[in-house]
Formats: sequence, C-alpha cells, structure tokens
Amino acid sequence: MDRLFKRKALDNGINLYVYSTDKFKTVTVCAFIHQNLDESTATKTALLPFVLKRGSHRFPSSRHISLYLEELYGADFGADIIKKGERQIIQFFIEMANPKYIGSNDKIFDEGLELFRDVLLNPLTEGSGFKKDYVEQEKDVLKRNIEALFNDKFNYAIERCFQEMCKGEPFSVYKYGSVSDLSGISSEELYDFYKMVLKTRPADIFVLGEVDEERIYDKLNRLFSNERREEKIPGSVVVKDVEREKFVEEKQDVNQGKLSLGFRTGVKYGDEDYYALMVLNSVFGGGPHSKLFRNVREKESLAYYAFSRLEKSKGLMMASCGIDFDKMERAVKIVREQLDDIKDGRISDYEFDSSKKALVNSLKEAEDSPAMIISLYLDGIINGIEESIQEIIEKVWNVTKEDVARVAQKVKLDTVYFLNRK
Amino acid sequence: MNFMGENLLFRQFDNGLKAYVLPKKNFNKVFAVYSTKYGSIDNEFVVPTTGERIKVPEGIAHFLEHKMFDMPYGNVFDKYAEYGASSNAYTNYTNTTYLFSTTSYFEECLKLLLEFVETPYFTKESVEKEKGIITQELRMYEDEAEWQVILNLLKAMYHRHPVRDDIGGTVESIQNIDVDTLYKCYETFYHPSNMVIFVTGPVDADRVFEIIEERENKRGKVFQGEIQRIYPEESPTVNRSSVEVKMAVTRPLFAMGFKDNDVGFDGVELLKKEVITNMLLEIIFGRSTRTYEKLYEEGLIDDRFSFEYEGQKGYGFCTIGGETKDPEKLKERLIASINEAKEKGLKEEDFERVRKKFLGNYIQGFNSLEFIASAFVSYHHRDINIFDYPEVLKNISFDEAEKRLHQFFDLDRMAVSTVYPK
Repeated sequence: MDRLFKRKALDNGINLYVYSTDKFKTVTVCAFIHQNLDESTATKTALLPFVLKRGSHRFPSSRHISLYLEELYGADFGADIIKKGERQIIQFFIEMANPKYIGSNDKIFDEGLELFRDVLLNPLTEGSGFKKDYVEQEKDVLKRNIEALFNDKFNYAIERCFQEMCKGEPFSVYKYGSVSDLSGISSEELYDFYKMVLKTRPADIFVLGEVDEERIYDKLNRLFSNERREEKIPGSVVVKDVEREKFVEEKQDVNQGKLSLGFRTGVKYGDEDYYALMVLNSVFGGGPHSKLFRNVREKESLAYYAFSRLEKSKGLMMASCGIDFDKMERAVKIVREQLDDIKDGRISDYEFDSSKKALVNSLKEAEDSPAMIISLYLDGIINGIEESIQEIIEKVWNVTKEDVARVAQKVKLDTVYFLNRK
Repeated sequence: MNFMGENLLFRQFDNGLKAYVLPKKNFNKVFAVYSTKYGSIDNEFVVPTTGERIKVPEGIAHFLEHKMFDMPYGNVFDKYAEYGASSNAYTNYTNTTYLFSTTSYFEECLKLLLEFVETPYFTKESVEKEKGIITQELRMYEDEAEWQVILNLLKAMYHRHPVRDDIGGTVESIQNIDVDTLYKCYETFYHPSNMVIFVTGPVDADRVFEIIEERENKRGKVFQGEIQRIYPEESPTVNRSSVEVKMAVTRPLFAMGFKDNDVGFDGVELLKKEVITNMLLEIIFGRSTRTYEKLYEEGLIDDRFSFEYEGQKGYGFCTIGGETKDPEKLKERLIASINEAKEKGLKEEDFERVRKKFLGNYIQGFNSLEFIASAFVSYHHRDINIFDYPEVLKNISFDEAEKRLHQFFDLDRMAVSTVYPK
C-alpha cells in the first residue's frame, strides 16, 4: 500500500518526509526535535521553542515575525512542546495558503521557509546567550502556562492521575517541566543547551502540500545545513505490573467532581497486540457506542462525558468522567464492571463491530487533516515503526473478540483519582 | 458558484427546505449538517399552528437538541455506530445543528440524518432522565473560568436580551421543561422552511438532492412564512460596566466587551460589518501591533490573549481579553490603545496587511470540512453566503474602517468582566 510520505535524509542527517498533494489549500511544514523526557532537562527543553519564537537575527522580535507573516497572507506559524510517551518533542510549524489561490507565486512559500529556518537556526543572541529579556519574559510565560493547567479542570484531573500513577517514572514529568526549575536557568546556559539539542537530538521535517519533491529537498538541504552529530535517545519504558491500586483524592472549590482512572495495559504502539488494544479501548470508552458512554451516561445519567483513551507510546489507558460529588463510588464500580465484562469476553457483536468501524472511520478521516496525518506518522517514528494509515486499518479489521479479551487480561487498574469539592 | 476550484450546488425543495452540496473529490470523509435557525435566544415566539404566543424555559433549544437523538426504536448514536459513522450536534445562541461524519455508508447516514431530525419523539421518562445528564453538562461549564468570564460579560452588557442567558439554561430552568413544550418548540422551529442542509466531501450532488427530495416530498409539510420571534426591547446602554466573581483559578481572567448599536440587519451588510470590525480589532490589538508587544513584554498578556466580534441580526458585541496578572492595568492599557487609534487614525499599510492576512486565513479554513460546514450554516442563517467573503473583504474601504472605528468603540458601551482567584 502507498505510504503518503516519501522519506529522504538531508545531508546532515535530518529526516525529510514529503507528501506532495493538491488535496489541501495550504502547504504545511513541521519540524520536530526529539528529546527524552527527563526531569533534569524538561524545563529547559520546554523553554526553547518559546524563546526561539521571540526573535531571530533577521526578525529580531515577535512583532517583526508577525508583520512578516501577515504579509505572507496570514501564514500560521508557531512552536510548542508535545509529549508522546516519554518523549518531549519540540515542534515548529508553518502553514501557508497555497500561492495559487491568492494569485501569488512560489516566492511567498520560499519567504515563509526562510523565516522558519531563521527562527530555528539563527536565534537572536546577546553576549554568549540568548537575548536576556526574552529568556526572562518567557520563563514567566512558561510559569503561567504550567500553572494554567489548574484552571482547566477537565485536563487537570487527567494529568494529575497520570502523575500519581507514574510517580518516579519519566512519564510523570509535565510537558512544560516544573516551576521550581525555572529560576535557575540563565540565558547562557539555555543557549549552550540549545546548541547541544540542535546538534545531537534526532530531528524530522515534514512537508505536506502541493510541492515539487526534488525542489523542496534541495531547498531544505541548503537551508538546514547545520552541522550535526546525532545521538540515540532512549524510548519509553512500559511498566506492566501494578503492585497495589492507588486512590488519590484532591479537594478544590469546584461545582463538579472529576473522576479519572489510570490503567496499565502492558502494550504499546509497535507491539503486535496494539491493534487489539485499540479495539479494546474503543469498546470500553471510545465513543457513544462504548460501554462507558452507554452505562455511565445513558443508563445511569451519572455524567455528561465519560470516555477512555490510550497513551499509545507508554502503554497506558485513561478513563475519565464528570460526576456529582456523591456518585464517585457508584461510578468507579460501573467503570470496573465494564472492564471486567471485556475481560470475560462479554462484548456484544454490536459493540465489537461498531468499535472497529469507528476506529477505521477515524483513521480514514485522519487522512483528510494535515495535522492528523503528520501526528500519526510521528507516532510511528517514535515507536520505531513505519506503516501507512491503510496498513493500520487492515490490522484493526483483523482483530478478533478473542484478541480483545486476551489483551484485556493485561489491563490493570493502577490509580483512581478524584477531584472533589472542599 | 466557483471559487478555488470549489463548486457549490444548491437546491430548494417545495416545502421550503434548502440544501447545498460542496463536492470535495480527494477527501475520504463526508461531513453533513442539518441545521435549524433556532437557538437559545428564541425563548418567546408565536406557535404558527395555533397562533399562541408562548415563553419557554431558558435552555430548551439545547435540551431539545439532546432529545432529538431518541427514536421510537432507540438511540440514533447506535445506528450511526453501526455504519461506523460519528454523529453529534451543537446549540448556540442562534442555531441548532446536527451533524455526521463518515467514510462509508454515506447514503444510509444521510437518510438517517433526515429521519432523526424530522422525527420528534419525547417521553416523560426520557425527558426526566436527560435532566441528570444536562445538569452535569452545566456543572462542567460552571467550573470553566474561560467560559464564565464571557457569560458574565454578556450579562453585564445586556439588560434583557436573552443572549445574556447561558445557552444551556440553568439547573433550575431546565427542571421546568416538559414533553408538551418540547413539541411546541419542535413544531415551530424545525419546519423545513426554517432549516438548511449542507453536505461536503466525495459525493455526487445530484444523488444527494435526489435522496432529500424523495423524503421531503412525502412529509406533507407546506411552505411556512417567517416565524414570529419576540425579543425584549434592549436599551443601547450597558447593563453594568463591570462584573467580578471569584473562582478556583491561579490568575485573574479578564474580558472587555463593546456592545454594538448598529444592529437590526443581516445579509451582506452584516458580513461587511463583521469583517470590518474584526479587521479593526486586528489592527489595534493584533500580534503585529506595538500594543500587543508591550503588553506581552510587561507580562500583562500572553499567547492566549484573544479578541473576536460576534454579529447577529439582533445584537452584536466584541470580546477582548485573556489571563492577566493585573486586570485593572490591562483595562486601562486597552482603553488607551483604542483612544490612540481614534485620535491618530489608522494607517493604510496596516489596513492592507490585515486584509491580506484575512484572505489567507479564509483560504486556510477550506482545509477543514468541519470548519466549512459550521461556518456555512452559521452564515446562511444570517442570510449570508460564505463564498461572498473574499469579494466583501476586497471591497472594504479604508474610510469605512475609520468610520466604524469611531462608531463602534464607544467607551459608554463598554463593559468588563473579571474572574479573580479565590
């Protein structure tokens, strides 16, 4: 089956993935720099994209960058951190309207690429560090970003459950690091760290849109000719056993209780059983057809939302719902029962077929979104496999009920987290 | 109508229903919506069949949306799941929209969409049960500070207009919803002449029209005139200039709003007003402005600072704000920027650059079928064709923008809302 992206390494070892298509109205370029998630470096790593997008030699401030982007018909440019398993990935992206739709020529695309390169490789410096003001301001912004999780109770209850569950493992480190590590970071130290990351960490560039493969390769090879000496970084560690179930309760001034249940699945993307785990998760809490939705919401009216999802690179599954404060025990009981049913093979034909169809549907739909296409390929890269969306679909179709029940035996509840009222 | 290689096809049926198809050959997914011009503000109206004028509980449009998924044979979600499709719905101030997205069994899915939206089926038991689910949905929003700060702002700006009420109503108001009132709302607002269908994806437009026509001709509905909707008289002033609450957040959240008095029309004039106002917001507060740069560097705002104009026939307002360490100071500075723009006038180069940006962003939007569909129906209910956007954008003059600047940003029609940490 056709893989959408053509892969070719640049001369300095950066992997270039190009998907030439006129399906979309835009051209998207993404760069990913991979870092192993580690408490000692997480905060510094998290600072990098934010400091870099403050300014480069050619575009010395965010305002200069924005002015330039607006001239490029509102090109969308940004940088952030994504966490996948025990990887902390620095992401840069630029998305530009295809020049042919605005009556322009390739010049705006080339100009966009140059800005992209300048911000990544040619940062504004002062003495032997980044510009000091920018580092100090971005430390403050990052601090606020870390603390802002508290304001988003939905995600807070999920993140906190993961943290409690994976205490002592790299996975418990927040994608933006921690506030306490921020104060010690100087602009010089950060700049040295940046040079090290750029030189030694695995990096990928994705290009998706109506582009000429040869031309884009030559262009990026010229633009990204920075000297590199790539080092291998470790993958995620999948912990399979649970010594004893944990229960963690936290109290805040809230109007709704948020319940999260963290499971160890023992299976990660790249394992043969992963596709059965996908089906398992779909049966369990992957949509309106799932056991959680039908029982927690429709049958018992306990919640508005009740779902589960996988952390596929770390082999975890998280179930979550928003409930009345006095319904916690009832909800936990129902969630447990749903998983037990799957373990015992009590999966109806309807649940099983709907789950597979829903997965296949969402995989096919992913092919209609530049961001989703790239994200799925990136998952493959960090887990050491390269497969097309079509190949994933075939493997999902081949999963049997017995596979699901068998894989369910490995799924163990690790931590119940409840955000309660004061 | 043809734009960027997109071809929009239209058909109106005898009973008044309108349908649009935008074929997208390269896509896997079909995205279809069935939308009624009926939202949370339509709380008082004349029932066309009886001539009875009624006032209904707040939140009933949203409640009705939830209940539309019930059929005599069970739940519509289950049916969609059998096709591997996903379905959903949303209610906002002015419309209720049902949707599905699928990569297979498109015709079955479309027929099901018509069937369930055209089949009201409410029982006392199911209505009572839904109150539990919606209560949890409302509780969830009560804990979302970013939503609360905007809701409070609307309450501050409006004295009586129902845009000041939460779309979902309140836990108290929904207790008064019963089967009989739901049917009255349904019969009034789910009439074909108040509704529109929009389908986009790899479909044959003729076949889509054929399927719809076959069903619509059998319904025995006759064209119905405009529905009489009653809105209270709204004073041009703001209700309160400031509102403050405390919540479990780490930092204050701030929102500033201006209440539009130039209302009472829709169509292309409304689109023009919306575009001009959004351009002004971008020129005054956008990322390429010195205002944004300074506020950011002083730590008064961050990346999440945002602004938006919302324009409907009966009301219009803008919101400006985000998280801040000092709401009072941010307020002063935003006002100072508005005053400066009014005193010194706009710069033509800024105006032209923002125009470019808006054109590019519009084109980018066409990557996403969901975006196209939701934007299409939202504009359609305001008698606007979204494909007119580039032309309207092109024809806006600098003078018109300057005029609107002075007319809209009137400090007497400004209100602010703040959420402080507890």
